[in-house]
Amino acid sequence: MGSFIFKRSLQSVFSLLVLIVLVFFLARMTGSPADLYLPQDASAEIRHQFNEQFGFNDPLYVQFGHFLWGLLHFDMGQSLQFSRPAVDVVLQAFPTTLTLAAITMPLVILVSVITGSLAAFRPGGVFDRLASFISLIGASTPNFWVAIVGVLVFAVTLRVLPTSGTGTPLHWILPVAVLMLRPTGVLVQVVRTSMMTALSSAYIKTARAKGVGSRAIVFVHALRNALLPVITVASDQAAGIVNGAVIVETVFGFPGIGKLMIDSVMLRDFAVIQAAVLVTALAVFVINIIVDITYALVDPRIRYS
Amino acid sequence: MHSSIHASGTAEMAAPVSLTVQPTGSSGGFKEILGLLWQDKVATVSAALLVIVLACVLLGPWLLADQARAVNLMARNAPPFSISKGWMFFLGADALGRSLLARIVVASQNTIVIAASAVLLSMMIGGILGLVAGYKGGWVSALLLRLADAIMSFPSMLLAVIVLFVFDPGITNVILVLAVSRIPIFLRTVRAEVLEIKERMFVTAARAMGARTDRILLRHIAPMVLPTVINLAALEIAFVMLVESGLSFLGIGIQPPEVTWGLMVADGRNYLGSAWWLAFWPGVAIMLVTMALNLLSNWLRVVTDPVERWRLQTSVGRHD
Amino acid sequence: MNFWKTIAVVTSATLIAPLNPASAQDATAVAIVLPAGPDRLDPCETPRSVIGRIIKQNVVETLVELDYDKHTTLPRLAESWEQTAPTEWVFKLRQGITFHDGTPFDAKAVIHSLERTNDPALTCITRTKYLDGTDIKATEVDAHTVKFATKTAVPILPTLLAQLTISSVKTPKGEYTADPIGTGPYKFDHWTQGENVGLVRNDAYWGEKPVIDKATYVWRSESSVAAAMVETGEADLAFSIAPQDATNPETDKVYPNSDSALFRLSVDIPPLNDVRVRKAINLAIDRQAFLGSIISDKAELAMQQVGPSVLGFNANLKPWPYDPEQAKVLLAEAKASGVDVDREIRMIGRPAMFANSNEFVEAAAEMLRSVGLNIKLDNLEMTQWLKMANKPFAEDRQPNIFLTMHDNNSGDAAFTAFFKYHSNGRQSELHDADLDALIVDAGTQSGAKRAEQYNEVFRRIYEDIVADVPLFHMVNYMRVGKRLDFTPTIANAVELQLARLKLK
Repeated sequence: MGSFIFKRSLQSVFSLLVLIVLVFFLARMTGSPADLYLPQDASAEIRHQFNEQFGFNDPLYVQFGHFLWGLLHFDMGQSLQFSRPAVDVVLQAFPTTLTLAAITMPLVILVSVITGSLAAFRPGGVFDRLASFISLIGASTPNFWVAIVGVLVFAVTLRVLPTSGTGTPLHWILPVAVLMLRPTGVLVQVVRTSMMTALSSAYIKTARAKGVGSRAIVFVHALRNALLPVITVASDQAAGIVNGAVIVETVFGFPGIGKLMIDSVMLRDFAVIQAAVLVTALAVFVINIIVDITYALVDPRIRYS
Repeated sequence: MHSSIHASGTAEMAAPVSLTVQPTGSSGGFKEILGLLWQDKVATVSAALLVIVLACVLLGPWLLADQARAVNLMARNAPPFSISKGWMFFLGADALGRSLLARIVVASQNTIVIAASAVLLSMMIGGILGLVAGYKGGWVSALLLRLADAIMSFPSMLLAVIVLFVFDPGITNVILVLAVSRIPIFLRTVRAEVLEIKERMFVTAARAMGARTDRILLRHIAPMVLPTVINLAALEIAFVMLVESGLSFLGIGIQPPEVTWGLMVADGRNYLGSAWWLAFWPGVAIMLVTMALNLLSNWLRVVTDPVERWRLQTSVGRHD
Repeated sequence: MNFWKTIAVVTSATLIAPLNPASAQDATAVAIVLPAGPDRLDPCETPRSVIGRIIKQNVVETLVELDYDKHTTLPRLAESWEQTAPTEWVFKLRQGITFHDGTPFDAKAVIHSLERTNDPALTCITRTKYLDGTDIKATEVDAHTVKFATKTAVPILPTLLAQLTISSVKTPKGEYTADPIGTGPYKFDHWTQGENVGLVRNDAYWGEKPVIDKATYVWRSESSVAAAMVETGEADLAFSIAPQDATNPETDKVYPNSDSALFRLSVDIPPLNDVRVRKAINLAIDRQAFLGSIISDKAELAMQQVGPSVLGFNANLKPWPYDPEQAKVLLAEAKASGVDVDREIRMIGRPAMFANSNEFVEAAAEMLRSVGLNIKLDNLEMTQWLKMANKPFAEDRQPNIFLTMHDNNSGDAAFTAFFKYHSNGRQSELHDADLDALIVDAGTQSGAKRAEQYNEVFRRIYEDIVADVPLFHMVNYMRVGKRLDFTPTIANAVELQLARLKLK
């Protein structure tokens, strides 16, 4: 187990390197920040000064060298927009998004495993139809739409929740609900499908026919077999939660990393983009490793080697 | 990492050896499929809806492009369910007084072309790479998986924003960037399935009989994986439409005068307080297509799975 | 790097944070919603509205304050000033004022602030936008008298100094600060990245003591959410909301924001090099139809790039009528004399330039198409848009109709005329020697003569050259909560003086 995690982490370093190269050059292809940070009528001299000061006049490979050298020293450079170390900016924003994800994902899995399995137990039944219908609505509604309608309904009309911002636990209800929407919709579908397959598989049928154990035991057995694809999709949804977070954070004014990333691209704040991608990537790698371990725990046929 | 599977464990999981997929492309098969479709009312409605959407995709811009573009500031935000301005305004008008109905019909082309091509592209690439990764294992698999990790850990929204800033946000670029960001999920799903299937008896038998790898992959394994992939693709179509909409929400993505349902929802959100219909109808369009695709793919999975099909055929009489 | 510790601390802080900092619980505290948050809070960057709205005249003050109504300047930290020579001004400073950190406000502080702003190690917007090229130097005459010297005569020096905020000598040079120390009625209290900025009243303020004792600034990019915050009482004032969200006349107040929207035409490139085509474009756009629909009905038709609050504004220019028939006639004439009026012309917009700007360009493009022009609409992202806005222009560019928005809140036309219309102006499409001379000459004048000269500049551009398609002087909507008694003015484009907020 230990050596597996070590090996897996080593491979993740490779992914990370690919990612770093990708983000460095892609970000710089979007153009120089000078025009964005200087008034439109700034003189050529001032613009030159600006580029010189931040090293944008150097050839790309020199800039990349600086970047890698800094990286080795845990220095991700200065944020252009905030004029402070990019790592600080990112680490300050990261916990909000992490907390959002950490509340959202378990809830998603809980809700969808229960709903999906119950739906699969009687395919075509009223509950199944209803669950499918609602989950598909969830999976296909633009989240910013739900977010704004949520504010208008729950904060403005009903006055039961705050409109936006952070602070009390009440502030988290709408954002988490919006963020849960799509992953839950998708996962209910996946759980339902794989549970149906598992329930109809030969050995469960045999077990059922023989009357082995209670319904619950059969259910648990089937669920165990149905979990593999569920884990795959859940991990994808977890990794993609930053996408939802971009929108949730924008609408609700949450100080998270999703909005920070997009703002940094708009403002060509390369150091922050790089640091933010790196930090989220680390988080995603951790999720992936956990997923691989879970695979093995769920399905004893998969071993580490 | 190399995930191996205990041969002993497969016995209870493996489907019966006789379970091979019959090709259903012949005309008799098609008729049979239609018959089965008719028996499931939900699937029939879904199929009908998709046919209508397809008709809009093909004919919409040709028929209604002018109506969709005609600005009429007097009819700005005209409410729905009134035919005083003509039936084109039955769904209301947008902020520039353009018919929402005409715009939804015209926008179907871009929307469906973007969503379908992006998903098809990522399905083909991700699917093939997943087959290879699952079947070959070893360093090929590891390399592919780690590349997939790299893409997956690059938030697709961010990737899209950067790429669309570098290249112009035309339809092709939107398709490409969405396709690339969705490859990993197909790759991983297919690989996971292949890992299981390749140890089944019919595959090991084919291998023992000396069948070539590509033949085993394409003839024996791919068809087994297909139902899962199609199911996934149906959900992915919705996802791609939503990401595209999210990009429009951020002010990136498809730019006017091009129009997609996602862009319409994003623009309409500014009027949610005063004119809900602007964002509502295109949202409904996205929802209906998603639902139809998923219900149809669920049905398809059932009819292509012999075990399920048997259940369906025996239970049909009882339900209706 | 104390990664996990930071995470643990901030996570617990976000979840168990003190009860809603944005809510206005305290009777004399206010919460203000801005459309965007600040990136830094440096006193030398106050001309940028994301910063100025929070700290200008609240935390840091200027020697001189602009009076937009009367086109003149008022004393603030300076008591009086006089021009002692063409390139020399002497300012008398108000006495007995101290900064929030206890250091005295004197000539040294003024010199420090000017030197800090002019330091090339920083790209202070006050320098790069206003002071650049003046070579302005300050010397101490005595503790409360400062002499400013410039390279050439700058008749509007007091106007320029209305942009220079004075901060304590303890503000470090050569690096940006996130801790502004000024003399203003409010002290900077805290800034939580991505969440809020807090100011508290400075009870030792030299002027009148304001009513509000605490202000919290938050930001929401979605206008509907910002509007909702004031409606539910979570905030007291939303700085800028979209026209469609300004549905309550009791709380939603309109004010000119000093932005002027306009289509710049590439006058060198056929077919836009023909004045008839340019006139046709002006005639084909139904500006009036936009007012009250996509653009606020309180916005005004523009005939030039500066608004009435700017010295040099020409009040005698008449708006173009909407006359598509006449436009078609002009285009036909041009076509008859060999102008290729069917050539594709790019219309360039930028998403979110102003509220509903996407809809605006779509409709404008349709209006031009309907008179027979071949318009291709492109919405560009900021950086690409800037690339097209600024010289050097691309060699092979297409003829273009380019949407820009210019904000001149300095009160003087000099910041528009050269930059937008002089041959050497960075965003100028023109190269008219007579106009150039007129612009340069206007810059050296003062008083009525200056206004007259700039009037002539704008008249030529509008009537003789038809260089562009002026559209609207824009307005913002501010939603003011029921507790507050406040009416916004054009000054609120870049600042919001908390001291002017009164409770009902």
